[in-house]
Amino acid sequence: MGFLEALNYPIYVAIFICVYSFLAIGLNVQWGYAGLFNAGVAGFFAVGAYTSAILTSPDVPGRLGGFGLPFIAGVAGAMLLSALVALPIGKICLRFRGDYLAIVTIGVAEAIRIFARSEEWITGSSRGIQNLPRPFGDLPYVYSQLAYLALVAAILLVVYLLVERQSASPWGRMMRAIRDNEVAAMAMGKDVPFRRLQAFVFGAALMGLGGALYAHLGRSITPEAIDPMIASFLIWIMVILGGSGNNRGVLAGVTIVWIIWTASEFVTDQLPMEYALQAKYGRIFLIGLMLQLVLRFRPNGIFPEFRPTQKDSRKPDKSDKA
Amino acid sequence: MNAPLQMANLRGGYGDADVLFDVSIDLGDREIVVIVGPNGAGKSTAMKAIFGLLKVRDGSIVFDGQDITGWSPDRVVQAGISYVPQVSNIFSEMTVHENLEMGAFLRKGNFSSAYERVYQLFPDLKNKRKAIAGSLSGGQRQMVAMGRALMLQPRVLLLDEPTAGLSPKYMEQIFQISRDVRDTGVSILLVEQHAKQALAFADRGYVLAAGRNRFEGKGSELLADRAMAEMFLGG
Amino acid sequence: MLDFINFYVVPGIVTGSIYAFAAIGITLVFSIMRHAHLAHGDMATMGAYIALAASTMLGLPVYFALLLAIPLTAALAVGTDKLFYEHLRKKPKILTTMSTLGTALMLRSIVQVVWGVGTTSYAKGITRPNDWFGLKIKTNELITLLALAVVVLGLAAFLNRTRWGKAMRAMSDNRDLALLCGIDNARVITLTWLIVGGLCAISGFFLGINTEIKSMMGWNIILPAFAGAILGGIGRIEGALVGGLMIGLVEELSVLFIPTEYKAVSAFAILLLVLLVRPRGLFNGKII
Repeated sequence: MGFLEALNYPIYVAIFICVYSFLAIGLNVQWGYAGLFNAGVAGFFAVGAYTSAILTSPDVPGRLGGFGLPFIAGVAGAMLLSALVALPIGKICLRFRGDYLAIVTIGVAEAIRIFARSEEWITGSSRGIQNLPRPFGDLPYVYSQLAYLALVAAILLVVYLLVERQSASPWGRMMRAIRDNEVAAMAMGKDVPFRRLQAFVFGAALMGLGGALYAHLGRSITPEAIDPMIASFLIWIMVILGGSGNNRGVLAGVTIVWIIWTASEFVTDQLPMEYALQAKYGRIFLIGLMLQLVLRFRPNGIFPEFRPTQKDSRKPDKSDKA
Repeated sequence: MNAPLQMANLRGGYGDADVLFDVSIDLGDREIVVIVGPNGAGKSTAMKAIFGLLKVRDGSIVFDGQDITGWSPDRVVQAGISYVPQVSNIFSEMTVHENLEMGAFLRKGNFSSAYERVYQLFPDLKNKRKAIAGSLSGGQRQMVAMGRALMLQPRVLLLDEPTAGLSPKYMEQIFQISRDVRDTGVSILLVEQHAKQALAFADRGYVLAAGRNRFEGKGSELLADRAMAEMFLGG
Repeated sequence: MLDFINFYVVPGIVTGSIYAFAAIGITLVFSIMRHAHLAHGDMATMGAYIALAASTMLGLPVYFALLLAIPLTAALAVGTDKLFYEHLRKKPKILTTMSTLGTALMLRSIVQVVWGVGTTSYAKGITRPNDWFGLKIKTNELITLLALAVVVLGLAAFLNRTRWGKAMRAMSDNRDLALLCGIDNARVITLTWLIVGGLCAISGFFLGINTEIKSMMGWNIILPAFAGAILGGIGRIEGALVGGLMIGLVEELSVLFIPTEYKAVSAFAILLLVLLVRPRGLFNGKII
């Protein structure tokens, strides 16, 4: 028993890594495959978390819900609603270059955060939604955690294999062609806006899935959980540090960044009170700096996308006369 | 022959792919030379090579005895070559006069005489000097573009399909103005889609195909060449 | 009627002026550098805090502190460009947009570590509005409007009458042709960042003097500022002016129709609507 309890913390970290992996893979579908800059990952995460919470939680007077649906229905609803929110956003923005999408997705995340905080009858405002069912929640704590980890990891494996298969398919090749040379793809008769919309909506659904699994893990969801610092910006660093376009790289990115992030929290917690708070804000500097450093020194990530058809652009071309 | 601009055995292209394989073009003093050829022959690309807008992998570009291969656009401009691209060749949100002013951006001191010369060449523009360039007709916009390029009093003027999309009347006018410009001491190299008219008007011509020189000679000779006419001018 | 003006229109115009300052900077970056400047709000926050530091530490009157904050923030803007954006020039612009997000987080973090997350203000106490025949306007509000007029007219004169101002317009209009004219792109970019940084300080300062100073103040105006710039038409100074003012008015008037919490969402709704029906904005700007 003692041995298992020593594993408490690692299991906890591993569950979070899996949950954030859904967000990161969703973002990779949008950015890595389709070149879409979604700066509001937290918004789609929140839609998923709240949807599953409303569908599965017990009745509370004065709040929409009490459906008490099973976990699986909540998760399915979460993915569906996240996709439905993404659809009109994508329709409006994907006609333009990426910057507009970035601005609008920031707005979406902001609007959803305000909605979650204000609409008591749907989201429970600042108290949030409590008492969500949790699969294997009746087991003793360690076993329950372990079982939840197994469940989340199994879903992640399925998602990973699905996305990988899709990526290797003609669809994936076409998406990369569009991302790398939109004009050429358009000239070949590809419906570029529609394909991008597909990627955007699919990615959003995966973010919704991540949100749902997050909510069921803690059995609750509150507006605080929709922190763009973590649920949007940290996810970005995971994806581009890991290597956008490459799902295994992205998973490695999630693991590395999340471990650094939790470790840095561990360090700042050791500081005296008066510095601990400031150090907490200092960690945001770390996120920004990491983003800059990756863009500067590792624009293709630690594990760049494997592209057999192209020369590795980082190696100097020998036929070039510098 | 005193040739201010010589391109010799150019090979190069965009990114990794070559578009030009072996292109050599000379432009003499006070000469009008036209490059014609089928689509995708590398006509415009050859011109862009002079402006360092593509990777030149082999061969050289010499201007006034100086090797300018791979120079940045602003250095080439400063050396005395001006370029009028085929599309988006004006500042469409600025006035005609401001377009000319931007053309003279590198010039120090007073350049009112440069305006005078350009307005003399393009009297149509003088009345429209306060008009927003983007509101003008296609032919007038081409004049703004050429006028802008002439503000630095270049020795060589490069024109990329100056008559594309223009009516025959404007085409004739652009050709006539080009002759006037040449008479002020400027050599002109132009790429043309209207091969017959252009060869008739130019001093000499080059026919490019698939990134290589195919024919060259006096405009009238090329027009009279049956083999060449059958291949490229549609009989 | 006067109450309507005093309670909704005046605050709307004042808020709108602050958005307009920010929107002008955003539209300059968007049209000349061709990327969204997501650090705009946090750079405004930084400007506001620099002015605060100058007024408290050096004991300067607040408006003199602003005059000090403008060049310092301008230098900061040029510095971030040199450090983070310059090496991305030849890459897809979206990477620079992403980099500006990194800058935003770094600036915000610096503000929070140095000055904390609390709320403060330039001057203690409540200033009473002046009464102009029933029209109630505070002195600071009047100065805000006056400053907006000065900035817009000054910027317009600079862009339309000076050699480098015209070079900025040329680069916004047709970047490749500007290069063919021998216009030094790098210098135009540095010049633009100087102006944009200065505008950030001004918008942050006036936001601070009309409301309060806090670390999230700038991030909170980024959506209305972008909405103003896009509503006006990207690349149009006059558009950013009108767009910013309109967004400010709409936000203040929106509370008559929707709950106050959603004030901030109304700007976003306009942004979506403009992108949907008229992406070139009121003044026929660019689509980047």
